[in-house]
Amino acid sequence: MSDDPFEAIKVTFFQECSELLGDLETNLLALETGEGDIETINAVFRAVHSVKGGAGAFGLEDLVRFAHVFETLMDELRSGRKECDDVTVKTLLRASDVLADHIAAAQGTGAPVDAARSAGLVAELEVLTHGQATPAVAAAPVVADEDDFGFKPLTLDLADFGAPAELPSLDLPALDLPSLDLPDLAAPSAAALTAGWRIVFRPHPRLYASANDVSLLLRELTRLGQTSVELDASGLPSLEALDAEDAHLIWTIVLTGDVTEAAVRDVFDFVEMDCDLSITALDGGSPSAETALPPLPVLDAAPAEPAFDLAALLAQAKAPVEAAPVAAPAPVAAAPKPVAPAAPAPAAPSPVASAPAAAPSAPAAVAPVTIRVDLDRVDRLINVVGELVIQQAMLAQRVMESGLARSSDIALGLEDLELLTRDIQDSVMAIRAQPVKSVFQRMPRLVREVAEMTGKRVRLVTSGEDTEVDKTVVERLAEPITHMLRNAIDHGLESPEEREAAGKPAEGTVRLAALHRSGRIVIEIADDGKGINRPRVRGIAVDRGLIAEDAVLTDDEVDNLIFLPGFSTAETITDVSGRGVGMDVVRRSIQALGGRISISSNPGKGSTFTLSLPLTLAVLDGMVVSAAGQTLVAPLSAIVESLTPRIEDVHYVGGHDAVIRFREEFVPMVDVGRVMGFRDDATTLTGGVVMIVETEAGSRAALLVDAINGQRQVVIKSLETHYRQVDGVSAATILGDGSVALILDIDALVIAGHRKSNRPELKMAS
Amino acid sequence: MPAASALNVLVVDDQLTMRSLIRNSLQQIGVREISEAADGELGLRAAITKPVHLIISDFNMPNLDGLGLLRAIRAHPPTSKTAFIMLTGRADRELVQRAVQFGVNNYLVKPFTTAQLKEKLEGVFGPLT
Repeated sequence: MSDDPFEAIKVTFFQECSELLGDLETNLLALETGEGDIETINAVFRAVHSVKGGAGAFGLEDLVRFAHVFETLMDELRSGRKECDDVTVKTLLRASDVLADHIAAAQGTGAPVDAARSAGLVAELEVLTHGQATPAVAAAPVVADEDDFGFKPLTLDLADFGAPAELPSLDLPALDLPSLDLPDLAAPSAAALTAGWRIVFRPHPRLYASANDVSLLLRELTRLGQTSVELDASGLPSLEALDAEDAHLIWTIVLTGDVTEAAVRDVFDFVEMDCDLSITALDGGSPSAETALPPLPVLDAAPAEPAFDLAALLAQAKAPVEAAPVAAPAPVAAAPKPVAPAAPAPAAPSPVASAPAAAPSAPAAVAPVTIRVDLDRVDRLINVVGELVIQQAMLAQRVMESGLARSSDIALGLEDLELLTRDIQDSVMAIRAQPVKSVFQRMPRLVREVAEMTGKRVRLVTSGEDTEVDKTVVERLAEPITHMLRNAIDHGLESPEEREAAGKPAEGTVRLAALHRSGRIVIEIADDGKGINRPRVRGIAVDRGLIAEDAVLTDDEVDNLIFLPGFSTAETITDVSGRGVGMDVVRRSIQALGGRISISSNPGKGSTFTLSLPLTLAVLDGMVVSAAGQTLVAPLSAIVESLTPRIEDVHYVGGHDAVIRFREEFVPMVDVGRVMGFRDDATTLTGGVVMIVETEAGSRAALLVDAINGQRQVVIKSLETHYRQVDGVSAATILGDGSVALILDIDALVIAGHRKSNRPELKMAS
Repeated sequence: MPAASALNVLVVDDQLTMRSLIRNSLQQIGVREISEAADGELGLRAAITKPVHLIISDFNMPNLDGLGLLRAIRAHPPTSKTAFIMLTGRADRELVQRAVQFGVNNYLVKPFTTAQLKEKLEGVFGPLT
């Protein structure tokens, strides 16, 4: 980040742009599916308008020009001069893509904008706006000559007010509003706008005695026009002297709007005999007797008044907007009531007093507040918290080793510390959690483009956009999802003709879903295309020497062959799905995140890619085990159950493949110590412990270890950055005693176990 | 001659970029007391809670637009004399006319320079030191 404030704001601008683009896409898609309304169109307009405004400030001419044409059409749509039909929405969607290109180009993160495409869309937008294209020059916004508006600023000539001696008070840094005696600029303009009435209303005791309610009368007045109400409570005696049956209050109501005096008098029809009432025209009409009353000090004695006032103000101010079908928000409910009802809080002329009086209301009034924080700072915090967790675990271990009683103050204090540490960790992690929406939002565009390139018709259905996952995970999701979506459209879906011939709708559907499942995030990409051509996949795998010709593979295993390095089913390399670096690269990048990917396919019906990733890359709930003298950590989420094997439950298939009977089911056994290469000989089963684990694909295996040492939350440290990738290991961690332990990758371990024992001919990639 | 440093300004815009730009310009002019609000409604609440000398507001905002904010500020006696500068785009001539009706003190066309903003401020308050 630069020190130059202008550059820093530019960074903010591009951040804001990516949010605006997201909103844009969401709202346009809502319009496309017919869920949009006038507010959606307004939101689109605002987004484009904001991009244009910011771009103008930074002199990004191309971006401004394009946004301007876009904005002009949106203005036509929101004013209702042009109907927002299907063709328009489709064009707007493509225009938003080009707008994104312009932004990326301006930011320097994208390729230069395809000028022909941009110009083409400008022409299309103009045709939609005007019915014909206008010369590009005319579209370029020029800063208007301000004289165009014939505007003269309303000057607040401070020198005219107050003697020079009063002016120095302005130089005080403290807010000193009263000394800033401004001319009454509101009155002339308000008068120019509409006539109105000044109503002074002083109820007699009899008015209250006949059960009239002043607030109802005031509300009635607000229906006639804009009102501002002042209460004069100066006649109110002290509490001791107060006669509750007497009347002390005087209201002054300034009512603006096109209202007749008769209409105002109608409001007071039933109480006129029980009050002093003066109604004077605001534009200097006939003054009545009561105008001789001295100006009323503004006193805020009636506690409900300010809240009422603000709500009414808002309602009035919003009035013209409400003409559009917008769900009225409920600021009224949020309007806070002053805390101390009896405290006379001067409403305005003394800001010194009014500021603290109003202060308690501020927190209640504010919507969710957000701040932007540099990611580096959050990461630093996460690292430190990671160290804290380790330190806490080490301390706990030391204390236990020292032989202190579990009920000792120190041990109990440590337990509290552990809870707090966990709380801190969860809170810090929550800071980094983000919905996958930001990635999903980019996909509709990709689908449109791939569909256009391949001549296929595709509908993308997304769900679970709000699923939250660590920011790093979110960022790294984009690439594999992009790749798999391309694959699904390019290889999965048939052409419209083929689909119709197969009795399917011409438009193919691709579903993109995110969900949480057992402590991981699962992304599913499903198409309703032709499914995997298994004989062909198998043939290719044999041709490339990836499997033996006589290998016996299940359907699932055949499907998953496409993840092997160098495997590419596209006989001619297409533009879309890449150059044969396909799915193995995807799988490797996912494995690097501690994730897994698999595919299941139904011939003629379609395929589903399932990708699962840990929610966070920082911590893991693990089971600490030992095998062949090594300490290892198994992810808790994978463990179903643990048990001590009985010798009679263990059987051997084909002489040396051990399986264990587990609830009427035979589960293959994996000897962790041997598979990991910690020892060569097979363990004797007695004395060991078996953990039943479930792989991502749902199959079960029994991991044989020497002992289970306990459950612990561990901080994940990448092994790759410190050493290199190791089969069967997803990462490493530091335990309480300071030693390093490897975290097992259950799926890879199970596959490796398979390979070691019974399928030497199947060269499964790690 | 009022001192810019004594002015208390509320900037209302739904775009963080715009608010930052205005704040930056105001600081260059010498204004020290600057607060921000992200839409008209929040702006109104802020102005009522903590009075300011000047509101600089965008027109196009969700919840309550700039015109609505101006009307509310003028209708509420304690804030009715607050100076108000409206930010507009070039195409908003009609808007400026409406804003004049509601008693706007000045307006500023986007994009603007610090010098232009200062000129607008001085159009309202007279020469600033």
